[in-house]
Amino acid sequence: MTVQTHPHVSRDLRLAARQGLLPARGSGWLAGFGNMLAKEMGEWFRTRRWLWQLLIWSVILGGLIAFFLFALPVLNTLMPGLPTQEQVFVGTPPEVGAMIQFFSFLVMTGTIGAIILAQDEIIQEKQSGTAAWILSKPAARQAFILTKLLSNAIGVLVFIVAIPGLIILGEIFLATHKVPALAPFVAGAGVVWLALFFYISLVIMLGVMFENRGPLLGIAFGVLWGGMILRNFIPQILYVLPLGMEGVALGVVQGIPLPALYVSELISTAVLSILFTLVALWRFQKVEL
Amino acid sequence: MDPSNSLVIETQNLSKTYKETQALKGLNLTVKQNSIFGFLGPNGAGKSTTIKILLGLIQPSGGQATVFGHDVQRDSVKIRKRVGYLAQDPRYYEHMTARQILGYTARFFYRGPKDLLEARVQEVIELVGLENKADRPMRGFSGGERQRLGIAQAQVNYPDLLILDEPAASLDPMGRHDVLAIMEKLRKYTTIFYSTHILEDVQRVSDSVAILNQGALVAEAPINELLAGDGGSTMYDITLMSETEAALAGARERVVSQSWVQNLSVTADDGLTCWQVSVTDEAAAEDQLQRLILEDRSLKVKHFGRKTYNLEEVFLELVGKENSK
Repeated sequence: MTVQTHPHVSRDLRLAARQGLLPARGSGWLAGFGNMLAKEMGEWFRTRRWLWQLLIWSVILGGLIAFFLFALPVLNTLMPGLPTQEQVFVGTPPEVGAMIQFFSFLVMTGTIGAIILAQDEIIQEKQSGTAAWILSKPAARQAFILTKLLSNAIGVLVFIVAIPGLIILGEIFLATHKVPALAPFVAGAGVVWLALFFYISLVIMLGVMFENRGPLLGIAFGVLWGGMILRNFIPQILYVLPLGMEGVALGVVQGIPLPALYVSELISTAVLSILFTLVALWRFQKVEL
Repeated sequence: MDPSNSLVIETQNLSKTYKETQALKGLNLTVKQNSIFGFLGPNGAGKSTTIKILLGLIQPSGGQATVFGHDVQRDSVKIRKRVGYLAQDPRYYEHMTARQILGYTARFFYRGPKDLLEARVQEVIELVGLENKADRPMRGFSGGERQRLGIAQAQVNYPDLLILDEPAASLDPMGRHDVLAIMEKLRKYTTIFYSTHILEDVQRVSDSVAILNQGALVAEAPINELLAGDGGSTMYDITLMSETEAALAGARERVVSQSWVQNLSVTADDGLTCWQVSVTDEAAAEDQLQRLILEDRSLKVKHFGRKTYNLEEVFLELVGKENSK
């Protein structure tokens, strides 16, 4: 490659060019995006995190459904006092009942998992000084936030939604020799992922706004558990907050036409997630590191 | 940018206020290309605040700052492409090895074949002498090793400007020596702007100095000028021996009558008379001062020389003067 010697060209680029290196891609909002995303994805897939996440979610979700499908019928013969599989599956066939239990349990445990996994993403980097180090390099603040958001969204999708989903499909097949319709199952998993993304974006936004975990966890779990209590008294809250997403997911999986409440919940969850992301991007521009 | 006489850093009335504390008060600073610029001041003087503003890590409350002619608020990423920065207390991802950290840093600046990027990383590892530690996780690194890694990551992009915030503050004498040696090695390639409160280091490696106190600039000059004395005058130390007071009085009369002599103070030391003569025209003083004294042949000059200050004296005088205001 030709070495540029124009006086306006930075010396570092000339020296790098001699070595065959080119300037990194990405400018504006995307400066440093690819590098930071690769690093964040590496945290999920090139450290032991992948193994732990795989074990945790496979055991929690796969184990629970395996218990209902395989262990409970055996236990019922040994301990007649236990609830029967039919009772647990509310009279539905095992392949349907297992899916209902999976999605119900997935939304609750997955939300808690997503909040815990994302809680340190911004706060720890601010507190430890690594954010200041990264942002002293040619990296855009927007890219920093977007990579945190995206890597968590992908990590949660893979380890909390997709892999346990595949395990559950396998278990259902082994137990019933039937395979649930894949497209509705994937769409239902997508609904759950959207609910989890809502909490990831909320936690990232709160991480930008606060300096310690206390208020972050208080608000995030407050929305989750406070909302669940509130929805009993003010059901209209379901129109705006993702507090009944297991119902939406199950409706999608079973091919039931969604009522207006569920449609509104889906739309508001998506809109709020985008809003949280925009607030995080805007607010992080002003954060002093 | 004209490489011969261009400004790398320029600030105009730069200020920063935290709630009710004014950390920086109208700072006007210029740093020329290819200088090693020591940014001196006691703890809390505003040195790190200035550096963080230059890097876009914090926003100024007022005034302007440019680096390579780019505004620090509008064009921060453009500036950071040409800057290497070592923080006062550098923090990296503890689970990563030094090599991984340097590779990650390098990819903010460059893309290209993996082996070439790795070669560049190896180069900076060798520059700071971390060959034996390069593949160990950060969590086992000592303070000195972290500082070496800090310099390596700041140097990975061949920066046109290296900003070092207290690079030797937390190091033992050996570590300090090593860091200064690395800075001296780099001086021919880059402009170095570094903050410190270790005056000895500044005197050893800097060619220009700014002294900051309580957020305000109290002095900015090439280090030789600063050490030669303040206020634009030059001081001479003269030690005389005379058998008569009259001879001394006559010599004193001849010297103070010169237009270029600003002040003459006298002290006695072990039978000798010591003069401190402050002059405004160094050439005239070099040419005439000794001659004027020796017009009286009964006087003997035991010592004649330009008074040199050490940086500690200058620093304490300037900072002390400001603090007593």
